[in-house]
Amino acid sequence: MKKIFAATLGILTAIGGFVDIGDLVTNALVGSRYGLSLAWATLGGIVGICLYAEMSGRVAAVTGRGTFDLVRERLGPRFGLANLIASFLVTILTFTAEIGGIALSIELVTSVNYLLWVPLVGLAVWLIIWRVKFSLLEDVFGLLGLTLIVYAVALWQLNPGWGDLLHQIAVPHKPHEEGLLPYFYYAIALFGAAMTPYEVFFFSSGGVEERWTKKDISTSRVNVFIGFPLGGLLSLCIAAVAALVLLPRNIQVDTLGGVSLPVAVAAGKIGLAVVILGFVAATFGAALETGLSCGYAVSQYFGWQWGKFVKPRNAARFHVVVLLSVVVAVGGVLTTIDPITITEYSVVFSAVALPLTYFPILVISNDPDYMGDKVNGRISNTLATLFLGVILVAATAAIPLMLLTKAGQ
Amino acid sequence: MVCAACVGPAPTTASYRGKAGHTAEDALSELETARLAVETAERGNMLHTSLEVLLSEAEDAYSSIQATFDSIQPPDSPEADRIRDRLDKILSAGSDGLAQLRIAARRGDAAEANSTSAGLGAVSQSLRDFSDDPRA
Repeated sequence: MKKIFAATLGILTAIGGFVDIGDLVTNALVGSRYGLSLAWATLGGIVGICLYAEMSGRVAAVTGRGTFDLVRERLGPRFGLANLIASFLVTILTFTAEIGGIALSIELVTSVNYLLWVPLVGLAVWLIIWRVKFSLLEDVFGLLGLTLIVYAVALWQLNPGWGDLLHQIAVPHKPHEEGLLPYFYYAIALFGAAMTPYEVFFFSSGGVEERWTKKDISTSRVNVFIGFPLGGLLSLCIAAVAALVLLPRNIQVDTLGGVSLPVAVAAGKIGLAVVILGFVAATFGAALETGLSCGYAVSQYFGWQWGKFVKPRNAARFHVVVLLSVVVAVGGVLTTIDPITITEYSVVFSAVALPLTYFPILVISNDPDYMGDKVNGRISNTLATLFLGVILVAATAAIPLMLLTKAGQ
Repeated sequence: MVCAACVGPAPTTASYRGKAGHTAEDALSELETARLAVETAERGNMLHTSLEVLLSEAEDAYSSIQATFDSIQPPDSPEADRIRDRLDKILSAGSDGLAQLRIAARRGDAAEANSTSAGLGAVSQSLRDFSDDPRA
């Protein structure tokens, strides 16, 4: 019974924790412009993150060590450093976007300018990371993030032509009035939003925090293969309601209020209140994850004591990195650069950094010296290698497409 | 990031026409966001604070779009001048309407907000027509 409860909780928190500011903004933006014609990119991203999260969870369960520690040891300090720099920069950009997202969500219910909330949000994030138990923060924000299921309710309330929606998903096409380059630019953005690097190394570091062993591999797989796809389904619901409500009125999403508007149209004030709660939970949960991930990345690479499974004074350097990351992220939002713009760039830069994050996981999960009899199977290897090819293409094309399309214009 | 965000000049009438078309699309998006928010509030489906934020953000974004277009140096051609005059008039009408919407929403004057929103429907249609064919 206890095991079933733990598995259910794991799945629910995986669903609730899957969606962050990148998923919210990118899916609403793309839905309002392309309908569901780019759903293939989200679905591809979900398959990719499931494959690599399963691997990284298995690596954590078997070795009991963090990703960056293993990468440095297995692939050498130079490659490890390149991996660290790319992952850290993208993660701190995402962290900045999440902090801005929390403040924007609070602005929607207070109408007090988001910039005034940013320092308080930063303080709250740091205090929670410092004081609250890992399992508690993961469960509370993961479960609260489930309120975003209101997007599925809104979709049902809108009573769409289900056949038409399924057709848009099953038969990808580019709307004739849209250019080919922006179409692929947004495909990469959706791919990057679904496969954000921090999600994988937070998942594996979380496994170490929770002291996973080989016995926990099955639980980790259940979380990944059920929780993540259901979380991805929420992303598709966000795109679908935007397509149904905003696309016919030529509205392109460029604010968090715009992301919430279709829910208000379909599900009224209560729906709107629930979705804003979901925004706060999703962005706060992701801010905690990205903030911790900044600390995990640096500490694991340099071999410092890290994690919340030890008292803060025993992992002082880890907590200093987290604190400095909070300061940088808060400062980044206070520059007054629009957090939605930061989000849009963060998902594209995520796509650029993907190979450096995912390639080492594939190497280590194939190494019997680390994994013993738990190395990748043939199917897992074939799929992961194919995906690595897709990731490489996306990473190579991301920056040129960003420049050529002026960031999707 | 900077390269992607900057506004370049429009050396030819065709490129100016393209930029004007994009401006109309972006302005239409902001105008329709504000109108949809007001319509949703009219049905009792919108939190007052969220309505205020949505209207204020739409107005700010609209102003920025208008200012960006105004900052583009048009090429020396009669067609470019016609495009500029035509779009300027539509954008100004939209800007006035958005300000009225914001004021009415903050005063809680639903009747004024609804009538202004309905009036902005014509501006939206003009922007739609313009983005379809800036030369018309």
